Amino acid sequence: MRKITLLLFILTSAIATKAQLAGYTPVSDLTKFKEQFAVIAKKTETIKSDFVQEKNLSMLSEKIVSKGKFWFKKDNLLRMEYTRPYQYLMILNKGNMYIKDGQKENKVSTKSNKLFQQINKITIDCVQGTVFNNPDFITKVYENKSTYLVELTPAGKALKEFFKNINVTIDKSDYEVTTIEMSETSGDNTIIRFTNREINTITPDAIFAIK
Amino acid sequence: MRYLLLSSCLFILIGCSPVYKNLQPATGDINYIQKFKSVFNGTLYKAEIDVVGHHLSGLLLIKPLPDSSIRMVFSNEMGFKFFDFEFKKNGDFNALYVIKQMDKKPVIKTLKKDFELILLPQKDTPKAYLLKDDHSLYYIFPKQKGSFCYITDLNGNEMKTMEIASPHKPIVHAIMKNYTNGVPDTIGITHTNFNFTISLKKIER
Repeated sequence: MRKITLLLFILTSAIATKAQLAGYTPVSDLTKFKEQFAVIAKKTETIKSDFVQEKNLSMLSEKIVSKGKFWFKKDNLLRMEYTRPYQYLMILNKGNMYIKDGQKENKVSTKSNKLFQQINKITIDCVQGTVFNNPDFITKVYENKSTYLVELTPAGKALKEFFKNINVTIDKSDYEVTTIEMSETSGDNTIIRFTNREINTITPDAIFAIK
Repeated sequence: MRYLLLSSCLFILIGCSPVYKNLQPATGDINYIQKFKSVFNGTLYKAEIDVVGHHLSGLLLIKPLPDSSIRMVFSNEMGFKFFDFEFKKNGDFNALYVIKQMDKKPVIKTLKKDFELILLPQKDTPKAYLLKDDHSLYYIFPKQKGSFCYITDLNGNEMKTMEIASPHKPIVHAIMKNYTNGVPDTIGITHTNFNFTISLKKIER
């Protein structure tokens, strides 16, 4: 009987360990983490950063790498300028989105597209620190020695079609988001890594202007 | 021999789509068209698909797999996947993933046929035949409804255009040009019966 109990204990431990992310344990003081994250996010008026985006196609053993520059300004102003493999500009200005693809320009109201709204909200929420209040996701927070990992699992059907989950890695030293990893149910994922970050530098509204 | 010639002529007359009825039968090797087959090898294209007022843009990856199947994955700039198609060597097709908004039978069927056209038919395709006019050779590959047609110059040096034809008229025109190491730099597909275009421009990785 003792042997069976031991075996069951080992099995359940193994399952529990597998259910959480490798190298991470559930955060010990979630309230403290949320408070700290919110404090830093509140102080963050602007972010300027480089980014590298990797699209991993698991079944094809292929990686598509894109690069560019990222700007954020409170509230709800976002500019992502892809410079590789080609020029592509996306600006989110409150409820509107502007896309410049080569010579083609396109304006979209994200209000008319719920899915667009939800996807845009993820990025804004991550950098603004309001990700925990987003009702579109079930949120869990893990930690290791140097980083926090926020696991966002879609709550609604529409987002579940796109994502298995979204993992946001936050540096413990400054509470800044370093990576956003979006995993699809197929096993493919997209990882955006932010580097050369500059916080609260002068960022004119004009760079978010939708003409 | 006379019977063979007669039966060949009958086959061409019966098999010949009315859309190409004014052309003359031609002799030659139908497999010669294979020289225009692209050697996609994890090739990445900047892709734009315009369909009845909707514009989709992103990256299209075309990759052959060890089992000789070809995969086409189209995702937008931010990595959101639109579709993942598999074209098997035996002609089978699988839509492995299609975004809900595009997951409609006519849309998938149209994209499948368009991409099959640019992938070119397999060698020794039965019932394929050759026609010509004063300027061009027409490699005709009959399908269940209509046909695929590849039009080259008379010497077979240049692929002028590719067409999908209904029994009455061409309904899709496609071009592939500026080949480097067997891979076209530019691919364009245009539908004549409704507003649907696909533009691909190769990207260096």
